[in-house]
Amino acid sequence: MSLDYGRITVFRDAAGGREVFLTFDTFGVAVGFNGHVDLGTGIETALSQIVAEELDLPLDRVRMILGDTSRTPNQGPTIASETIQITAVPLRHAGAQIRRELMIRGARRLNAPVREVSLESGEVRWDEAKVAYESLIAGEDIALRLDLEAPVKPAKDYKVVGRSTARVDLPAKVTGSHPYIHDVFVEAMVHGHVIRPPYHGRDSGAFIGHSLVSFDEAAVRQMPGFIAVVRRGDFLGVVASRADQAQAIAKSLPVEWLMPPALPDMASLADTIRDQPSTPRICDATGDFARAIDDCDTRLRRSYVWPYHMHGSIGPSCAIADWNGGEPIVWSGSQNPHMLRADLANLMQLAEERIDVRRYQAAGCYGRNCADDVCGDALILSEAVGRPVRVQLTRSQEHLWEPKGAAQVMDVEGGLKGGAFHAYRIDSWYPSNRGPNLALLLTGRITPEPRPSDMGDRTIIPPYRIPHKRVTVHDMAPIVRAAWMRGVSALPNTFAHECFVDELAAEAGEDPVSFRLAHIDDPRTAHLIRESAEKGSWQPRTGPRRRREGRMAYGQGFAFATYVHGAFPGVAAAASAWVCDVAVDMETGEVKLTRVFVGQDQGLVINPDGVRHQIHGNVNQTAGRVLKEDLSFDEIAVTPQSWATYPLQTFPETPEIETMLVERSGDPALGVGESAAVPAAAAIANAIFDATGVRMREAPFTPERMRAALGITGDALPAAIAGPARKEGWRERLFGPRDGRRIGAKGVGLAALLGGSLTAAAMALPIHRAIAPTNAPQASNFSPELLARGREVFAAGNCATCHTVPGGAANAGGLAVETPFGTIYSSNITPDKDTGLGSWSYTAFDRAMRRGISRDGSNLYPAFPYTSFAKMSGDDMFALYAFLQTLEPVRQETPPAEMAVPFNLRPLNAAWNALHLETGPLAPYESRSEAWNRGRYLVEATGHCSACHSPRNALGAERAGADALSGAPVKGWYAPPIAGAAAASFGWSEAGFYDYLRTGIAGDIAAASGPMAEVVDNLKELPDADIRAMAVYLASLSEGGAEGQASPTTVDAAAVAAKATGLAALPDATQRLFDSACGACHEPALGNLATAARVPLSRSPAVRSSDAEALRTVIRNGIEAPLSLKTRDMPGFAGELSDKQIDDLAAYVRARYASNPS
Amino acid sequence: MDRAIEIAVNGQTRKLLVDDRRTLLDVLRSDLAVTGPKYGCGLAQCGACTVLVDGDPARACVLRAAKADGAAITTLEGLADPSAGTLHPVQQGFVDAAGAQCGYCLNGMIMTTVALLKANPNPCEQEVREALRHNLCRCGTHKEIVASVLRAAELMGEAASQASEASA
Repeated sequence: MSLDYGRITVFRDAAGGREVFLTFDTFGVAVGFNGHVDLGTGIETALSQIVAEELDLPLDRVRMILGDTSRTPNQGPTIASETIQITAVPLRHAGAQIRRELMIRGARRLNAPVREVSLESGEVRWDEAKVAYESLIAGEDIALRLDLEAPVKPAKDYKVVGRSTARVDLPAKVTGSHPYIHDVFVEAMVHGHVIRPPYHGRDSGAFIGHSLVSFDEAAVRQMPGFIAVVRRGDFLGVVASRADQAQAIAKSLPVEWLMPPALPDMASLADTIRDQPSTPRICDATGDFARAIDDCDTRLRRSYVWPYHMHGSIGPSCAIADWNGGEPIVWSGSQNPHMLRADLANLMQLAEERIDVRRYQAAGCYGRNCADDVCGDALILSEAVGRPVRVQLTRSQEHLWEPKGAAQVMDVEGGLKGGAFHAYRIDSWYPSNRGPNLALLLTGRITPEPRPSDMGDRTIIPPYRIPHKRVTVHDMAPIVRAAWMRGVSALPNTFAHECFVDELAAEAGEDPVSFRLAHIDDPRTAHLIRESAEKGSWQPRTGPRRRREGRMAYGQGFAFATYVHGAFPGVAAAASAWVCDVAVDMETGEVKLTRVFVGQDQGLVINPDGVRHQIHGNVNQTAGRVLKEDLSFDEIAVTPQSWATYPLQTFPETPEIETMLVERSGDPALGVGESAAVPAAAAIANAIFDATGVRMREAPFTPERMRAALGITGDALPAAIAGPARKEGWRERLFGPRDGRRIGAKGVGLAALLGGSLTAAAMALPIHRAIAPTNAPQASNFSPELLARGREVFAAGNCATCHTVPGGAANAGGLAVETPFGTIYSSNITPDKDTGLGSWSYTAFDRAMRRGISRDGSNLYPAFPYTSFAKMSGDDMFALYAFLQTLEPVRQETPPAEMAVPFNLRPLNAAWNALHLETGPLAPYESRSEAWNRGRYLVEATGHCSACHSPRNALGAERAGADALSGAPVKGWYAPPIAGAAAASFGWSEAGFYDYLRTGIAGDIAAASGPMAEVVDNLKELPDADIRAMAVYLASLSEGGAEGQASPTTVDAAAVAAKATGLAALPDATQRLFDSACGACHEPALGNLATAARVPLSRSPAVRSSDAEALRTVIRNGIEAPLSLKTRDMPGFAGELSDKQIDDLAAYVRARYASNPS
Repeated sequence: MDRAIEIAVNGQTRKLLVDDRRTLLDVLRSDLAVTGPKYGCGLAQCGACTVLVDGDPARACVLRAAKADGAAITTLEGLADPSAGTLHPVQQGFVDAAGAQCGYCLNGMIMTTVALLKANPNPCEQEVREALRHNLCRCGTHKEIVASVLRAAELMGEAASQASEASA
């Protein structure tokens, strides 16, 4: 039967027109509209249950539209656990109204008395007769005005509400078909990438919006995909066809910013917060605290400190905006679409109604992240380019700029009189506000003065009967950008209340739970405390029990709170009680939260599983905040840019969790999104007290803080292992990180030794005869066979790497090479007449290659490895000369060397040559195989392996004999031993050398990285026979290592040694940095992770090098080998970690993995 | 530099011209609209981008697409049986035990679990926690995720025994 379309709607009148809450139509589907959004908590499911219940419809016939500004009512931001408790109320009444209307119409249709019909599964029924809802509204458009007095279904009749219901969004999420905001595609969209100012995460002060000095668009306009650079005040962004192009352009755009002013001293957090301007506001002044505190027989003063935290959404924020000719559409993952729309209207100076914000799910946010900011970014860029623009923030941008969960200081004083809680004073400082939209601040649309807010008063009133109280919140502006985060100020306030009451109980010699109950008047609260203690296996005590088993101390703690949200005095959400168990390692200070029992009273439960999931989430997330999380700062700004320096709780660390939901179906539903987080810090601190007798009053309770509190001493690392810290070069201090012309990520080490100058430098004093310039022969004069051979020699000599600046013209020289004696630049080896080899005769070339004498007669610096090239055969030398003439000529002068006195005098090199140069091609050994002799030639002559792998003497000459190829630090890197016992013990073999030189990988022994990766890439020009020959020769240089693979025992022994050393290091921030930044690839959880490091750290040459610089180089630059190699990439951390962090990390890794750095 | 590559994504061969430096994650999401793998950190720290490369788990945010040339890539979208439309047992395990809140990390959890159960079909709870130690979840869904993995192992065991009975 087909019906004429009809529908029934419940609405209310609002300023902008009708706001619809619920519709039901002849398709048989109810659609609910709610201004709040699903932050990943499953609220969509709970709201669907409410509609299904009131309408007596099956759940699969209910849909929810959440947060779209053009369709949903404005119900404020999705905060304070209000969705079920407050914003779902009109939805429920709307459901009741439609139900009532359908009941009347159904009764009429069935000729039945209204009071005798029943509603079930979308039908009105009377005895045997029934009629489907749809048929009751066919062809009609019925509109009902929302009536908040409309009677709703009594809880005793509930069939859907109160039953566990599977999440409606999960099936699509497990298949990848659920569209998150990050997955939305808009036709013709282009991509924006923002460039944020250097005052990361700050939002007040005159410099905000006024720090951008200049940028050079011309420098990037030719880059692929370029569309525009857009500036509005301190807002700066680029737009390109693809996201990776936009990012590359943003990275390359030269930008000059003013240096931001310093932050207050964030290391002395509590003092800094107290010293900021603030306005005291008294929230409770019952009795006479000033007099009563003097009457107390036990009196305590305490301070509790809460750190800054990050919301830490697992997906960085993303948005798409389409300016759409002044009628913008914004696709957003906002927590507060209507508030966002007002901000965007202000930003673009448009009427709110002209903006359509379409809300999609994003990564969970737990408060205010960058979801709104990125909408402002996208809209500005879209207006500028007239096309839809998508902006995906990076992890670093999200970390640095999200409004943080604010630090908080609670100063408490109170006491006992006759064993009772007699007086209590709390002063709470909470430097946070609502986090104004960043685009408004950066563009100067709103002024950057400090904006105080009033959200420090959540759960600031202690729940106990105390005759004399003075409760004061100090309203203040943020110090760094901050906004609400799960538990808001209630969590820290409860940290203070619930630790302090625990201290008083101990002073009174009473059980902490009994002491609390003795001061609770509200029977519902008392019930929760009593039931939670009983079901949570609370063990009564009158003081810390200090239970010990070996090095571990065990304890149990209790805390509870009613989360109060909204403007003071606020509204109570669910009340939660924690009973938790901890184990404290008394040697390392590590605290393990082993079990958490949560009892919770939330009135009516809509979806019991949904409530439990929220409790579990609150417990796990907050446990991490209490035990691990702590935002760091430098002098100017927020510093963490990834999980490396802001580690989250991991799976092995999470506790067992048990829950108890108090049954109260007759009471209104209370919010559950945050309540179970609120007692966390106090409960854990109280458990630590029970285990150790120590009171922790500043979170997080890291091993370092625990060791300090427990008096455990011991250095994290012996200084001898840590080694001296790397000294920052003046170049970097003046110019920042090394640019591409300097030694960069590619070609560093080898380049450091090569280079020199084949062309005459102006300052050089020729002392040899000059060879007259002549036109070099044309490439066409040479046979293809000769050129093919020359190509191989060129590859084996790895010439291109050192004679090319990354990103510059191939083989045109100019790569800066810093030697102990000064900086020299590699020369132009293209056949350019004036600046390259185009006017060099073969004689001149041969002399330079073999004797280090330039065409003009001046001596070359010995960084150019002519001592090796002297051993080349004449045929190879000529083939190379011929091949060089086929290169693309490039006109490029080689910069003069910048040598220190006396090394700037090239005549000195002549003397050097007399000492060190043995000229003449290698003579083959008759007793050795042809392959061995060929290998020797490639290794010793053309390949000049010794240039990097042999240590040098004070004059910069390679050491020979037993020291040859025994490993050497190369500027920034380490070239490991490839000969002798050291190489043999490492497990090198002929097969290993072959695999390594052919593919870049030798089993789990070695993977080529840094400059060696370039060498291997160049070796791909060589035939297998040559690679085999080199392997044969190198293997023969390893005593006893000529055959066979590394024995497993060698590897195991190394691992055991590493482990033993690792245990010596006490857990600290560096260990956490390693675990979160390095662990995934270097200690992978799954053996076959295809992106894990190929070689264990205990075998890495950089780790085992005699000095830590090689490892620091890898950490800074990462590894990105040429694609011809089978090696894997590693991201670099130069832009993220400080020099000190890199030094500490290198020291930690070497101590842990190289017990005896060689 | 652009380079021609050929990868098989969920059984479908794709020929692409990609810049050397682009990550597999970027190419999957931007060029192929395969959005199951998520961008979380770009540094292999969180696991949200995990895919299978020739059956092995890989963090697609640190794997250049050009390096995957010639490989068979399986993503979250490729797990379910395309003909029957039934979920992969690991996906079903995550539905059964509600292994997600926001679900942004879910791709990594599921793909890592597929790899784990291939190597160890019957992990104990401790082994599951260890196997997921480099997968981050900010919602605190750890308990449900561990339960989902154990449920998935159970479902895979059932499927395997049914298959062996059917063939017997």
